[in-house]
Amino acid sequence: MYLALRELRFARGRFALVGTVIALVAMLTTMLSGLANGLVDDGISGLRRLPMTDLVLQQGSAETFSRSTLTDADLAPWEGRDDVDASPLGVSFVNARTDGGKTIDLALYGVPAGSFLAPRPDAEGALEGTPGLVLSQELEDEGIEVGDELTVVGVDERLPVLGFTYAGSYGHVDIAFTSLETWQHLLYGDNAKGRFSAIALRADDDTTLEAADGTEVVTKEEAYAGSPGYAGETQTMSMIRWFLLVISALIVGAFFIVWTMQRSRQIALLKALGASRSYVARDALGQLAVVLVLATAVGGGVAFALGGLIDGTAVPFRLALVPAVSALVLLVVVGLLGCLAGIRRVVAVDPAMALRAAD
Amino acid sequence: MSLRLENISVAVPDGATERVLLDGVDLDVGPGEVVAVTGASGSGKSTLVAVAGLLRQPDGGRVTIGGTDATALKDRRRVRLRRDAVGIVYQSSNLLPALTAREQVAILAHISGRRDAAAKDRAIELLTRVGLEDRLDARPAQLSGGERQRVAIARALMNEPVVVLADEPTASLDPELGELVMQLLIDEARRLGAATVVVTHDPDQAGRADRHLHLHRGEVAART
Repeated sequence: MYLALRELRFARGRFALVGTVIALVAMLTTMLSGLANGLVDDGISGLRRLPMTDLVLQQGSAETFSRSTLTDADLAPWEGRDDVDASPLGVSFVNARTDGGKTIDLALYGVPAGSFLAPRPDAEGALEGTPGLVLSQELEDEGIEVGDELTVVGVDERLPVLGFTYAGSYGHVDIAFTSLETWQHLLYGDNAKGRFSAIALRADDDTTLEAADGTEVVTKEEAYAGSPGYAGETQTMSMIRWFLLVISALIVGAFFIVWTMQRSRQIALLKALGASRSYVARDALGQLAVVLVLATAVGGGVAFALGGLIDGTAVPFRLALVPAVSALVLLVVVGLLGCLAGIRRVVAVDPAMALRAAD
Repeated sequence: MSLRLENISVAVPDGATERVLLDGVDLDVGPGEVVAVTGASGSGKSTLVAVAGLLRQPDGGRVTIGGTDATALKDRRRVRLRRDAVGIVYQSSNLLPALTAREQVAILAHISGRRDAAAKDRAIELLTRVGLEDRLDARPAQLSGGERQRVAIARALMNEPVVVLADEPTASLDPELGELVMQLLIDEARRLGAATVVVTHDPDQAGRADRHLHLHRGEVAART
């Protein structure tokens, strides 16, 4: 790295230019990571926050609540087990209207009183008393207050707002908890017959959970796939991130090859002075590694700073340190792989070229 | 002998045929001895330096440096022998633009794996010896042609080589400065006891050497 570090200082402008490009790619990668996490969070945070480990769904429902209907008969075997907590869970999407005429979408969770799924202790009372709603905190920010009444569109049922909780959202729609009876009444009218969407289970990791006939057991994480748009969003974001990685590798690799061609006479001189192939390869790769790491760190840092500004706005943005840093590390690794494609040119430089060289 | 070239031949493809660059060249140079090599352009002078400096393997013949048959060595050991036993001064000074004069010389120690203060001191001592004690931190762009060649001489001597090769080291300098630089090179090489081969077009400079080899179309045309 003797020559590498000195060249970095000497050709600051050139390295700053490629460093800026790499930093922008790193920034974009990190921002996308934040957006992807934010979108995922927006899609499944309401499910992730439920204190359960697994779900029982109707067989063939493909982790989608709207395709799953279970009954008390499905619940009975689970309630009889000592090693598992089980609770029926109703999930559906409704449209509600405030008295001011504003309509809002709600992902309605029907939970029985006393269930371990109850969002917070004081909500339990709300779930067994007068029918009402405990809404996701985000709706309070939209001006809805405790005591307001929401009219469920379609069935024209008026339900009071009993409180707020950090419930999150499901399928990009804010959560509203209500009692299971209210949920069944809203969905099935007087013909509920103990029906609900799924059974939430809470069990230790080593507990065997065998589905009864006509049902299937999925983990909470597997159930994320059933969230509307989840697969499409994560796949799209993932594809963009991979594209960025490939672009980054191409940028760094192309710069490395051009830079190597420009300094081939200097490399020839280095070899003529007695530097081994590994010495010149280490020097060249080390130089780009320094630029890659510094630029990536700067890009990532800027993205985190920007993320701080975006956080709390309507943009679904959530940066998680580990995945974001992992993506940046991957960016450096991929950049170095891009350099490796050009390293053959470095080691292949003929030292005899030094005799023909002019500085 | 510090440097021995035996029956060296080099040829390169030239269309369907081959062009002979060196043909059966022999040369022995002892410790502290200076041999001047002259010849017209294309006579094989630079190829001779490339072969003697282990920058190029000959197609035939043997190169022995300090008693080691370099042509029989594997690549890695030949590179190490070049690093430790050969110092080359190029036609143009061939300095690295990013390095200061001090670093141009000290890089030899770094390549050899010596990163101690003694190596840095030696670089300064050599630059002082060639009269550049005030230009230690100057980069090539800040040095005159003569100063650059003096840095190149100091660099060539850094590893106390057994063999010093100079490929027209004064070609880019005016005659007066060229004479000074040549004398400096010869004096320092002799002081070190290195076998020295200097390629030159200038008969006056060739006259400073102990012996003289004239090449013509890759063959030794005259020895004096």
